[in-house]
Amino acid sequence: MLAATRAAAGGRSSDLLSSRSIKHVVVLGANGAMGLGSGALFTTAVPRVTFLARTKEKADGGLAAAVKMVRSSTVAKRVDTGSYEADFDRVVGEADLIFEAVTEQLPLKQEFFDRIDKARRPDSIVATVTSGLSINQLAEGRSDSFRKNFLGLHFFNPPNVIVGTELIAGKDTDPKLVDFLDEYCTKLLGRAMVRTADTPGFAGNRIGFQLLNECAILAEEHGPLLIDELVGPYTGRALTPLATIDLVGWDIHRAIVDNIYELAPDEAHETLKLPSYMADLMAKGVLGRKTGAGFFGKDDGGQRIVLDPKTQKYVPKSSISRPDLSFIDAIANLHRVGRYVDGMRAFAEATGPYAAIAQKVIAGYISYSFHRVGEVTDDISGIDSIMGNGFNWAPPSVLVDTIGLKATIQMIEKAGLPVPPALANAEEGTTFFDDPQVNVGKFFVAA
Amino acid sequence: MTQVPDVYILGGYQTDFARNWSKEKKHFVAMMREAVLGALDKTKIEPGDIEVAHTGNFAAELYSKQGHLGAFFLEIDPAFSGLPTSRHEAACASGSLAIQAASAEIEAHRYDLACVVGVEQMKTVGAGEGGDFLGTAAWYELEAKGIEFPFPKLFGKLGDEYDKRYGLKDEHLAEISTINYANAKLNPNAQTRTWYMNYEHAMSRDEFNGSIGGRINISDCSQVTDGAVAVLLASPTYAKNWADRMGVPLESIPRIKGWGHNTARMLFEDKVAESAKAQYVLPHVRTTVTTAMKRAGIADVSGIDSIETHDCFTTSEYMAIDHFGLTAPGESWKAIESGDIALGGKTPINPSGGLIGAGHPVGATGVRQVLDSYKQVTGQAGDYQVEGAKNVQTLNIGGSGTTSVSFVIGN
Repeated sequence: MLAATRAAAGGRSSDLLSSRSIKHVVVLGANGAMGLGSGALFTTAVPRVTFLARTKEKADGGLAAAVKMVRSSTVAKRVDTGSYEADFDRVVGEADLIFEAVTEQLPLKQEFFDRIDKARRPDSIVATVTSGLSINQLAEGRSDSFRKNFLGLHFFNPPNVIVGTELIAGKDTDPKLVDFLDEYCTKLLGRAMVRTADTPGFAGNRIGFQLLNECAILAEEHGPLLIDELVGPYTGRALTPLATIDLVGWDIHRAIVDNIYELAPDEAHETLKLPSYMADLMAKGVLGRKTGAGFFGKDDGGQRIVLDPKTQKYVPKSSISRPDLSFIDAIANLHRVGRYVDGMRAFAEATGPYAAIAQKVIAGYISYSFHRVGEVTDDISGIDSIMGNGFNWAPPSVLVDTIGLKATIQMIEKAGLPVPPALANAEEGTTFFDDPQVNVGKFFVAA
Repeated sequence: MTQVPDVYILGGYQTDFARNWSKEKKHFVAMMREAVLGALDKTKIEPGDIEVAHTGNFAAELYSKQGHLGAFFLEIDPAFSGLPTSRHEAACASGSLAIQAASAEIEAHRYDLACVVGVEQMKTVGAGEGGDFLGTAAWYELEAKGIEFPFPKLFGKLGDEYDKRYGLKDEHLAEISTINYANAKLNPNAQTRTWYMNYEHAMSRDEFNGSIGGRINISDCSQVTDGAVAVLLASPTYAKNWADRMGVPLESIPRIKGWGHNTARMLFEDKVAESAKAQYVLPHVRTTVTTAMKRAGIADVSGIDSIETHDCFTTSEYMAIDHFGLTAPGESWKAIESGDIALGGKTPINPSGGLIGAGHPVGATGVRQVLDSYKQVTGQAGDYQVEGAKNVQTLNIGGSGTTSVSFVIGN
């Protein structure tokens, strides 16, 4: 290495980072989207990465996809591939970090952890990418050294693009390991780390899927097209809510909201109940984009079609008329020229039944987020970070600051939702978003 | 003759160069607005204090079908009603020319506080069309028309000229790229801060790092970037009042200590023919750099603590190394091998990541270089801070070495 790169690397070292070393990562489930995406990320910083899958061919396929994600064939030189049958015990025994990304099923993951527990070195780290299963439950029955070195490391898909990452310690996880991995992922993997409690859906999915599921519920009465426009990019997101559910898959959506609904009854409990029309359609094989269509799709002729949840049939998009949504156009035009505060104040002041729907969802998102402080994260900044960096949505604090404190409280009250104490007790003029590095304007898309 | 007043830099703001404003469906005025209001917020200056505004922009007519960019200042804040504004263009040096104009007006005692914003929205079009637009920075009919990605090819020729005169190795260009990307990882506004890059990749030659013009590969190129940067320039009178208000001594506020500005003939082959018997491949660039140092009262590059140079391609940074005098002509590779130009080295070049790592929104680049220099000399550069930087010099180039502007920033 020339002096140049050495100096740059040297500037990032710290005592914490030198407390452990990660020279070899084993990725389990390296042919799945999260496995290969996480593997791709590890190849950018770790000297050796092993991709393991049911067969070596599947692991090779994961590697090929990872190379395309990183856009460099050089990373392949640092990767070896193998199968669970032939290579598991050997490579897990060699690894500094064992990264579990197998299918999101508790018994399957437990089976893997049992095997890891037997094969691993006592000082190696075991991380799971689970998006919602309990870390403590996953650690049950494992050895002391396993539980001490086990935690959740929740990347969002695709990991090499979305930097927001949740770090979840179990009750027995070594606090020094949590500190180390936080620093390691921040400095060497370029992550925006958020520590969350071991609660269902952690922070990001708990809050994100509350909004998504509420939109799915509203779609039953109002139709997916209207709801996606009402809670569209102009409210502070790149991708519309129901298109997001189609993208992540209805099965994943269901697993996340069912888990939260069952294990975390909160003040928004009913908004986390999967609408029955979705369950009916899933029984018929509808899973979103991966099965060709969900809320949205294309017919055989390539024409855009939209689900009618009432009839559970698809209709041409062109047959659905757009009601008067001029308030959205006016707000989008303000965003387009960078007048985000004016835009979001106009949002809070908009009148009519459609504006009321949009205001209720956004008020719900803000109320629900602030009510989770102390439960899923220690403060609102953790929630802000994961909603901004993980979901690419305007963080709740950004919305409050942009709309204005008083107008936000009024909007929450008008929606019949509980006003979070943090807002109710704040003085007018208080600002909530505290990361000066983030250009908050980026969240308000002019559409 | 009355003394020419100093021009002080009170601060500024850069938008996050990783943003895609077309995906956000924004007009470029949104970018200008964030940069200008951000600069006012950071410096705690009221918009009504600004007396004159200058915009640096290369080609909004092409990218956004919109001219008259100075006038867009008035869309930013009602306090700007009636403000004198103008727009400046000299290809990739547009931002520096906007600073030149604002400085000259302060030196002429016309105004006490000027706002300069550099802006370019480039992601409105695809790569091929954008490459063609950039071709208008060269002599379009003769050097760009009908040519795919003309500029990489022109700067490939700069490499060829070095190779012919002195020898040039790909390894050294790859190292320049590696350093810029590594520095960008430390810069929270850099476009490539999350991208994968290292020496091995910069040296690889396959579909992920193919040639796009002679010896120029993807890793040798600066980026297509959306971005705006604003700085506030002040007369000694305004700066003194501001310093008192901020509770800091006037001496702690950086000044533009020196400037250089030269133009060479448009065609790259004419430039090379002109310099055939000269020591330097681009002698007018050399003059720009040395003039700025001279005006700053700095004898040579040993008085410069760090450089923000125009690395539109690795070959342009290779050229800058000897033109700044870090090595003898043709020996730029020595400063690369010694580690002198890396962060932590003797004279770090582009601690920000430069155009390759931080990004290159064409009309904003010159302003970004000055803002980064300001950050360095005031100790505000965060993880990419050059320890103890007192004098930082910029070099901003338009075309194939056609328009060169350099500033020395220090306090």
